[in-house]
Amino acid sequence: MDDRYWDREVETAGRAELEKLQVELLNKTIGRARNSAFYKGRLPDRIGSLSKMSEIPFTTKQDLRDSFPMGMVAVPKEDLVRLHSSSGTTGRATVVYHTKNDIEGWAELCARSMYMTGMRREDVFQNMMGYGLFTGGLGLHYGAERLGALTIPASSGNSKRQIRLMCDFGTTSLHITPSYALHLHTVFEEEGVDPRRDLSLRIAFLGAEPYSEGTRKKIEKLYGLKAFNSYGLSEMNGPGVAFECTYQDGMHVWEDSFLLEVIDPRTGESLSDGEEGELVFTSLRREGMPIIRYRTGDIAAVYRKPCPCGRMHRRISRIKGRSDDMLIIKGVNIYPMQVEKVLMDIPEVGNNYLIEVDKVDYLDTLIVKIEVRPDTFHGQIRELENLKKRITELLRTEILIHPRVVLVEPNSLPPSEGKAVRVVDRRENL
Amino acid sequence: MASQVTVFVENRPGRLSKVTRVLADNDINIRAITISDMGEYGLINIITTDPDRAEKVLGDKGFTVTRKQVVGVLMEDKPGALANIAEFLNSKEINVSNAYGFILKEGTRAVMILEVEDFNTVEKVLKKGGFHTLTKDELHNL
Repeated sequence: MDDRYWDREVETAGRAELEKLQVELLNKTIGRARNSAFYKGRLPDRIGSLSKMSEIPFTTKQDLRDSFPMGMVAVPKEDLVRLHSSSGTTGRATVVYHTKNDIEGWAELCARSMYMTGMRREDVFQNMMGYGLFTGGLGLHYGAERLGALTIPASSGNSKRQIRLMCDFGTTSLHITPSYALHLHTVFEEEGVDPRRDLSLRIAFLGAEPYSEGTRKKIEKLYGLKAFNSYGLSEMNGPGVAFECTYQDGMHVWEDSFLLEVIDPRTGESLSDGEEGELVFTSLRREGMPIIRYRTGDIAAVYRKPCPCGRMHRRISRIKGRSDDMLIIKGVNIYPMQVEKVLMDIPEVGNNYLIEVDKVDYLDTLIVKIEVRPDTFHGQIRELENLKKRITELLRTEILIHPRVVLVEPNSLPPSEGKAVRVVDRRENL
Repeated sequence: MASQVTVFVENRPGRLSKVTRVLADNDINIRAITISDMGEYGLINIITTDPDRAEKVLGDKGFTVTRKQVVGVLMEDKPGALANIAEFLNSKEINVSNAYGFILKEGTRAVMILEVEDFNTVEKVLKKGGFHTLTKDELHNL
């Protein structure tokens, strides 16, 4: 028996079959969404084909905020069983509600995603994401239980206990943020535990922050496991929207449950496969709070090329940035995340940097400020100049702009915890 | 083996005064000081009476600071003394990345501080050549 697929029929469905299913589910979704205050009068009666999607207006984050608290709910309140809410650090929180079926559908997608990476019933899954209003923790928790794996709801933090749990219960798979994985490894060293030798880890799900291919490789090497990228957003449940298969080459979007479009963030026009643009999603199976043509702000490219794993669900690249963060420097589009990924991979830099954009002699200039920390400082000018050169070169390769790298004293930049401001555009003040 | 305290500072007003004030407040005497200026930033190199404590107090104040092993050569304070050392180093094909000196209180002798890549070898070579290189304690007690 072929055990590569959790749901063979859906996962290996052909494109025509998938698109037919999408039109059918889209029309059902439109019918349900009309029950909400927000979508009432906003939607066409029926969509005959996917090429007619542009007849439907987009839904934005602002729409979600304006609909607070229940303007997008499409079912009676008593049918709702759960809500998740954004942290709402800027403006009003966005809230997403789920019915019992929604929670089950979400768990099913998470189980399917995890199964796709090779996780099985025999696995022991340690979920190191925060539980609570954040969707990352509960999403994969339900998925792992549905898959049948023994699940440890460790939640985040308490590094020594995390290591203890891994040792005691023979953890084989982890759900962890990449930065915490790197940090935790230093605690492993202190505790005298070698994750490669002393543990049975084989799979890690990395998520919730941007990270580079280099960081993935590093984590795989440090822990002796395979690390998988995932993509999700709370407006589309949370994790389980797109996941990597064992080929680790782009993330398959579950197109039986989400309708994916890519648009030009400036004009709103649809882009073809392969072109980089903003991802737009429509929930296809959700009852409690259907969301149609939601502008994610996430920039990525979509690939239709068949995957050797046999799944026809299209793949998306790593998220390159957020459309609202985009900087135009010397006419080139740059996402701070691109700079971030390069810098995070340089051990001497880590989280200690600030990106500034300024006009110098009427020319846009990208300035990257790096703190020189005691642990990487050896009093050698040559070493410091080499570091500057290395950063300049790596950034130039990634963003095609020659940045000015400036070394600064420690603690002169805003702290790296939480949502620190990492980009300052001084051109606006001119 | 002598050691020098090296501090990373941004090139903006008040940094040198901050560094030296921290040392003064901790009763640490400066024997010699040089600054390598790189434009946006600089390295302040300091020979003090107590490098261990100097490194610690500057680190505690949030400075990026490190200790560097350097070679301290004792010499007569007279014309040609430094030329002798320089010629000797040249004859041994030893490259010096930074050098600075100071005269001792008694007024007859001086100390040359040499930053070199392979300080252990350089120190041995100098000793063999008849030069007096200073230990940490000697430098401290001068």
